[in-house]
Amino acid sequence: MVSNTVLTTGLLLILTGLWGVLTHRNILRIIIGFSLIGTGTHIVAVAIGYVKNGTAPIIDRVLNMSEAPSRAVDPVPSALVVTAIVIGMAVTAIMLAYTIRLYDSKKTLSIDAFTESKW
Amino acid sequence: MTHRIFVVIAIVLFGIVFGSVATSYTEQHSLRPLAEGYVKLVPQKLGAPNVITGILLTYRAFDTLGEVAVLFMVGAGVVLVLSAGRRPRAAAHSPEDPRPSSEIVQTGAQVLSPLVAIFAAYIIMNGHLSAGGGFQGGAVIASCVLLVLLAYPQYQLNIEFLSITESVAGALFVLAGIAGLILAGGFLDNRILPLGQFGAFFSAGAIPVLSILLGVKVGCELSVILDGFRPEPVGQKDKV
Amino acid sequence: MMEMIGSILVLLGAVFHFSAGLGMLRMPDAYTRMQAGTKASTLGNTLVLAGLAFYHPSWSLKLLIIVYFVLMTNPISSHALARAAYSIRIPLAGNTGIDALRDEQQDLRSET
Repeated sequence: MVSNTVLTTGLLLILTGLWGVLTHRNILRIIIGFSLIGTGTHIVAVAIGYVKNGTAPIIDRVLNMSEAPSRAVDPVPSALVVTAIVIGMAVTAIMLAYTIRLYDSKKTLSIDAFTESKW
Repeated sequence: MTHRIFVVIAIVLFGIVFGSVATSYTEQHSLRPLAEGYVKLVPQKLGAPNVITGILLTYRAFDTLGEVAVLFMVGAGVVLVLSAGRRPRAAAHSPEDPRPSSEIVQTGAQVLSPLVAIFAAYIIMNGHLSAGGGFQGGAVIASCVLLVLLAYPQYQLNIEFLSITESVAGALFVLAGIAGLILAGGFLDNRILPLGQFGAFFSAGAIPVLSILLGVKVGCELSVILDGFRPEPVGQKDKV
Repeated sequence: MMEMIGSILVLLGAVFHFSAGLGMLRMPDAYTRMQAGTKASTLGNTLVLAGLAFYHPSWSLKLLIIVYFVLMTNPISSHALARAAYSIRIPLAGNTGIDALRDEQQDLRSET
């Protein structure tokens, strides 16, 4: 139940981000849409690793070593998401750098002005 | 108009696929075999209470090296894209000092940046005991640098120092991996240093050292990315 | 009993967060949008953390430190954003009455 709720939230975020990327004409709003897709994907990845009534995979007072394999949550998706968040921020930085150069060349932030790559 | 219809059809089709995934997903009741193996092996063989950091820095450490390479490429790409044609923009600005920041931001930065730096060091050093690690601590270091850059706009970051530090940290990371090949089980094995007592501060072999190197490297790279977005200083226009 | 108080505080915090989002959609101007986003969401954060302190009383000191951080950083960042927006001359809304920053800058320039 918990895992289904979080999974639905993540998938809704991906859909919202996808709608934002396809509909808006302002480049900055398209970048926000990409950031939403990224966040939704991270939430989906962490939701898939949830085990019923599980707890965090860290050995301390709450969880000792012998009962860890039966009560811990899947650590592999969390490990993947940790680096994915930082890489997502770096990719947003390079998208913003491209936006600055595009604005310098045509003085407008609307994506309809850049028609050189259309057929 | 047709563009609108295609967008709506695409979103509806994606919605149908996502809906079928969400409704037919059942929660797991026990761990999958690979995850169970990791949760059993990391505290016993590596001596690290935090299973996720043990996976990231020993069992899948080669992937972490790849992610660090991706981060380096993105940093170099941002600086390359932004510094190529910046001369005309700098000439369009009025030739005076950058607008000074307000007193509220300066006071806030003076109070907060030591706290944020200590917090970043705590996250990096505690990576093997509780939640934390190199990547997260590096991002917090970059946010401390951003706070200082916002409060003092005429402050020039020493880019050469950052580049040298970042390259030395990366080289030491690979050297620690090669030492793992020679002295212990394989590339980037953490048993080159003694495992120590479980849960103590100096334990889990080489994982704290690798965490510190990773945190320094990620922090320097993100700081260079942030510095690339600032306008060029006046007076450097005629330098090549 | 403590859990009931904690749940009510978390619900109040969620209501404030929702009103922050609603304000950001409905306000006419960039500056009023920033104001709605910062004030309401900072208060919502504080209320949610206070409700959490009723659930787990042993975490109170750590939650107090988090509330201190949020109260220090959120208003400062919104202040810096609003001054940057004013300096690149984003237009104020049509029915604005007073522009305090312009008056203050004029006073400064007429003094020197």
